[in-house]
Amino acid sequence: VSDITALPWGRRYLMCPPTHFGVLYEINPWMHTEVAVDRDRAHGQWEGLMATLRAAGAEVVVVEPDDSVPDMVFTANAGVVNLRGEGPPQFVPSHFRFPERQGETEIFAAWFASQGFAVDRLRPELAHEGAGDALPFLGTLLSGYRFRSDQPAATELSRLIGAPVRSLELVDPRLYHVDITFCPLDDRRALCAPMGWDDYGRRVVEALVPEPLWLTDDEALTFCANSVVVGSTVVMPVTPPRVGRQLEAWGFDVVTCDVGEFLKAGGGCRCLTLSLDVDLETTTGPAP
Amino acid sequence: MPVVETFEVEGHIVDSLILAKVLDLVLEAGADYRMVAVDIGRTSVDPSRAVLEVTATDDAAIGRLTEQLRVHGANPVGTEDAVLALADQDGVLPAGFYSTTNLATEARIDGRWVAVANPEMDCGLVVERGRPPPEGPTVRTVPMHRVRAGDEVVVGNDGVRVRAPEKPRGVSTFEFMDSEVSSEKPKALLVRNLADRMRMARDTGGRTLAVCGPAVVHTGGAPEVARLVRSGWVHVLFAGNGFAAHDLESNALGTSLGVSVAEGAPTDGGHSNHLRVINEVRRHGSITAAVEAGYVDGGVMFECVTRDVPFVLAGSIRDDGPLPDVITDVVAAADRMRELVGGVAVALMLATTLHAIATGNILPAAVETYCVDINQAVVTKLADRGSHQAHGIVTDVGPFLRQLADELGA
Repeated sequence: VSDITALPWGRRYLMCPPTHFGVLYEINPWMHTEVAVDRDRAHGQWEGLMATLRAAGAEVVVVEPDDSVPDMVFTANAGVVNLRGEGPPQFVPSHFRFPERQGETEIFAAWFASQGFAVDRLRPELAHEGAGDALPFLGTLLSGYRFRSDQPAATELSRLIGAPVRSLELVDPRLYHVDITFCPLDDRRALCAPMGWDDYGRRVVEALVPEPLWLTDDEALTFCANSVVVGSTVVMPVTPPRVGRQLEAWGFDVVTCDVGEFLKAGGGCRCLTLSLDVDLETTTGPAP
Repeated sequence: MPVVETFEVEGHIVDSLILAKVLDLVLEAGADYRMVAVDIGRTSVDPSRAVLEVTATDDAAIGRLTEQLRVHGANPVGTEDAVLALADQDGVLPAGFYSTTNLATEARIDGRWVAVANPEMDCGLVVERGRPPPEGPTVRTVPMHRVRAGDEVVVGNDGVRVRAPEKPRGVSTFEFMDSEVSSEKPKALLVRNLADRMRMARDTGGRTLAVCGPAVVHTGGAPEVARLVRSGWVHVLFAGNGFAAHDLESNALGTSLGVSVAEGAPTDGGHSNHLRVINEVRRHGSITAAVEAGYVDGGVMFECVTRDVPFVLAGSIRDDGPLPDVITDVVAAADRMRELVGGVAVALMLATTLHAIATGNILPAAVETYCVDINQAVVTKLADRGSHQAHGIVTDVGPFLRQLADELGA
């Protein structure tokens, strides 16, 4: 019998078709420009992910791609969304560490503004890569820093969105965003890849997550934490057998969705989606 | 010397264990901290803030620690960036420019302390941003006449710090001697210590600069300087028209200002000897050409030419001739001297006032300077003008140089 209390978010996603996607530069250890992306295949996989999310009950909204920024397909890095209860929804655009992606900021800011979001900005000197480095769990944002985001950005983000933020130092360049090391499953459980964090970060997660599913290093490096959760369905880029069995034992439906062309750029299912229904005000936080 | 820097860290630093990590990093680096202030947020949304005073062994240690702590959001406080203004005219610094000392200096640019590449007194500080991270911006001293319109120049005193030269550990002869310049010092010991410093400099790749006045030739010291050049103890030479002319005169004609260097007696018509020598060198076109033509076969200038030791001869208004190598534009001469002082670790100021002061003005304080003069006033004058790294040796330069060359086995 399932005891899942589904996450209050993750039913509405923003995606961007991979029309201009390719590995055109190298800004993480997975990217190798000599590895060609099969664009037709990428399209097929992206369509497959969208269909899987819709089949799981999610709504998917599509943003027009821009040929100047091939990584725009990874919408998770667009920024941080906060619905703020009944108030006007809020969007904090990312400040990308690498110049190759900095063009995405204004494209996404303009799109969110056109959708009625209030666009609040971080100080320009602070790097932060949006939901890629900020995942909500029990009303708290877990924010990664070091490779792509600056630690002080977490403080400013907390001020802007009015929610507590806990910083996790990322220590393995292969796991360069927090959403490759952490995936909230429901209100008690999360996939956790401790190899990506320092000792302090591990203690922070231990204190926050009542029932973590600790991933081994090999499991973590499959990108299985870069998954999308829609209610009780977990959409995974790769499903290590032990992880799949544990998720099913808890009552989740596990769907493996091949996004291999995107893994060539260091992105999985989560990276290809941005949850548009995160509301940090209506979810209750943990006891301080 | 321990260095203290205050850091501030803000945010959800308690729940995120950032504060614990920062404090651990301080201790792991061998530094210590004192909590100056801690404000813990009331709710889980309120940020907390901690201010800590960190004490590290030296500046390099605090620099490394600052880089580490910055990653975790802990930044130095109470220090502002240097204020910059654009020079609006070639050769003119912005009003209120920071006037440099010759001490090791750092300017705070974009939140980090940048060491000034070439400390020199009485200059401006120009920031160059050409290089990308991690090298970042550089800061160099620029004399007023070399500033260019559009240069970014530090104005005011904010965001600039200087450091007094570190005293070597233990009591050295020169340390106790620094208290006063006196003729009543044990010369043999001083010579031995200077020779040790020159050996130490040479072993560590440092160069020795000799600045010579004409009295070096008159007192019979020129052959000793020539020995030092020939055996690789002097790597750069600064002098004026007089020193070079008398050195050449003593080698071409055996006299210095007409007086026989060997016998000490005035020679017939000797008063014009130096003019005749200058005239002949002018006929050759340069000292190098005169040496190559065999006009002189010894002496300091001969050794400099044959051993490729660079020299600068700076002119003055009372010069005879002058020799063709003399740079008569004093601003150009000082610029040429600046080009040659890089890498100099020891400077010998030998029986010269004006050239010693001019050289002292362009040397960083870290260069050990030895001022040798029979006149105590010259030695104290150099020290009074701000070259406080100068060690004074009051003695007759000729015998002194002989002892030094012997001590070095030149």
